[in-house]
Amino acid sequence: MMDRPSIHPVAWIVWATSAGFVAFVTTDPVYLLLLWGVSWFVYASHRVDPEHARSFRLFLTGAVIAVALRTALVFFGTVSVANTSFSFLEGLRLGTILVIFGTFNAITDPFGLVRMAPRHFHEPALAAALALSIAPRTVAGVGRVREAQRMRGIRVRGARALPALAVPVLERGMEEAHTLAESMDARGHGAGRRSRYRPQAWTGAALLIAVGGVGAAAIFLAASVGGWAVLHPQTSPIVWPQTAPLLLGATALLAVPGLVGLAEP
Amino acid sequence: MSDALRFDGVTFTYPEGVRPAIDAVDLAIGEGSFALAVGPTGSGKSTLLRAANGLVPQFTGGTFAGRVSVDGRDTLAHAPRRLADVVAFVPQDPAASFVLDRVEDELAYGMENLGVDPSHMRRRVEETLDLLDLADLRDRSVRTLSGGERQRVAIAAALTAGPRILVLDEPTSQLDPQGAEDVMAALQRLVHDHGMTVLLAEHRLERVAGWVDVAIGFDRGRVRSGTPADVIGQLGAGPPVTRLGRMLGWDPLPLTVRAARALAATGAHPMLPPPDPAGKGHAHRSVLAEVRGLRATYGETTVLRELDLDLHEGEILAVMGRNGAGKSTLLRVLAGIHEPAGGHVRVRGTRPRPGVDTALCPQEADALLFNDSVEQEVRATLVARGEAGDTGPWLAALGIADLAARHPRDLSAGQRLLVATAAVAATDAPLLALDEPTRGLDPTSKERLIGFLRGHATEGRAAIVATHDVELAAAVATRVVILAGGEVIADGDPGSVLGDSRVFAPQMTRVFGPGWLTPEQVAEALT
Repeated sequence: MMDRPSIHPVAWIVWATSAGFVAFVTTDPVYLLLLWGVSWFVYASHRVDPEHARSFRLFLTGAVIAVALRTALVFFGTVSVANTSFSFLEGLRLGTILVIFGTFNAITDPFGLVRMAPRHFHEPALAAALALSIAPRTVAGVGRVREAQRMRGIRVRGARALPALAVPVLERGMEEAHTLAESMDARGHGAGRRSRYRPQAWTGAALLIAVGGVGAAAIFLAASVGGWAVLHPQTSPIVWPQTAPLLLGATALLAVPGLVGLAEP
Repeated sequence: MSDALRFDGVTFTYPEGVRPAIDAVDLAIGEGSFALAVGPTGSGKSTLLRAANGLVPQFTGGTFAGRVSVDGRDTLAHAPRRLADVVAFVPQDPAASFVLDRVEDELAYGMENLGVDPSHMRRRVEETLDLLDLADLRDRSVRTLSGGERQRVAIAAALTAGPRILVLDEPTSQLDPQGAEDVMAALQRLVHDHGMTVLLAEHRLERVAGWVDVAIGFDRGRVRSGTPADVIGQLGAGPPVTRLGRMLGWDPLPLTVRAARALAATGAHPMLPPPDPAGKGHAHRSVLAEVRGLRATYGETTVLRELDLDLHEGEILAVMGRNGAGKSTLLRVLAGIHEPAGGHVRVRGTRPRPGVDTALCPQEADALLFNDSVEQEVRATLVARGEAGDTGPWLAALGIADLAARHPRDLSAGQRLLVATAAVAATDAPLLALDEPTRGLDPTSKERLIGFLRGHATEGRAAIVATHDVELAAAVATRVVILAGGEVIADGDPGSVLGDSRVFAPQMTRVFGPGWLTPEQVAEALT
């Protein structure tokens, strides 16, 4: 049973925003695929429990599907090497953002983030946290229900078996959400006063993570604005992407959380 | 003594309810009381508990009449969150009520909401961690805790905000006997030393009857409060010692082992010789399931190590042990759901196929209910087997034929558990495995389950039951196995295994000595 390494949640927000920004400004497959690797590395060194692992796999599957669907859109028009590769790269960018978000979701505690939110943002932050916690809860629910049905000989496969899976998962999800809402209210949530228990310390590790993230984003921003590197490889005619070593290095800065995680006992 | 909690003429009907869940309730619970809500499933206990801080009707809707006041505050005039400083509520499923991830943060959550000063918060968290013996768990994620640990964390989280009144819905239902006793002792300390008012609902009266000083009896929405002896005596149910007292015409009726021992000593039959062990001689029966050198792991944790076990035809095996001892894992391995890390497991000579050789009803029985009626729920299992058979016998076997047309969602937790058990049993698998089958079951439903298990364990079949409920094991098991640290530490007939244990001894053993298991058995010997 591993415990959560104590990294200030704001450092994770900076990391995820920076990584998302990098993925947003480029369609170069080298940077994007490196970001998949970086995300996996960060996830692997900071994951907490199996439920999170399942949720990360869900986002990974979603990302692969996003890439495939975006690429397949081409088949509704004229198919050529140029527009297929363009579509693929667009899809890859979308998939990368999903993977980054999945990593963030898997390694941070959404409700821990709510506690960090300034008082006026408490309610929207809470709504966001509830939404974020749905993915891991649902995934865990699917596993439990599938198993429970197997124990009585019902194989949950195909569309006809969908109710056997979906009904208990959704009902349980609704019930849990209701209990949680009740429990929060009964424990004084939104009573108007607030104080903070043992605020998380801003550690050296958190600082490194934040600096790495901001650095990566800044270099890509400079490249994007300054135009001194090719962020969007030419697809018509298709050419090998001209990857810049500096930008590769900038992407690698986003792996800092993984190294910090490994450094801890 | 002023009233901590007052109900004046309270009648409440749920939005889709046809009759009131609680009906014209007048009730006053004095400050510093330790009160128990007792009564059959669906008689309004949970509703009354949730009305104590206004969750009913503010979160449920429905028709509400009358007045509930907590520490003088009207629950209709104040939202539940405005009552958080006086009353705290611990729901039946503590896991669903956790807001934060770390144990320590979860404890502080309520205080943060109330704006408690940080240094004060820190002290209160430390004290509460000690009070409920949670200091070792402070940095753990609530998701990695065992059922008993979760229950203690939920109680601690409710306590930190410093409420005067603590309301708990079945706080011992997920706990092993020792864990239940620890929780009750902690609650009593709060009442005695800190003047708190505690109100709890519980079906397992043998665990709570001796601790409380007020009981509130429920009967179809009507309530009556009085001394525990008075209220429980009138219910017709009760812990085994009370049932025995009723059978033998003892007066006053005993509620605790201590009281029963005193009465037995003054009676005409002070000493009983130990009875012949029941269910002896299963050795000649053939083996249904065989476990050899079983090792099972969860992630990096080894849950079962080098475990050997034979299960014979006709046996009802109760697997006991503290929370986290590996009971559920053993059942899952026998059902072919959990792949063992080592050793071998055979049911009817083959690797167990789920739903064919072994059928398992999981602890979270709700996970398998998806149909619109109880009858269809059981039918779904038959259809999966490729049969168009009659669901009637399965419903009758669990005593739920009268619920056939009802929607499972509208049933109580205990009733749903019986429905899930019927749906699992309908696989007709020879080995039936039930994980904590008496959670939330009232005494009537428990009797039905016992009858069903006896009917199942006949020629060619057997049942294995993982349970914390010693009285269930005493009543139905033909053999008891106790697990600790992933190993079998005791195995034998219930009379000797339970008789030899301080923690798992049923009430009759505690009164009359090893070998005596049920009040029926004792009453028969005495008359």
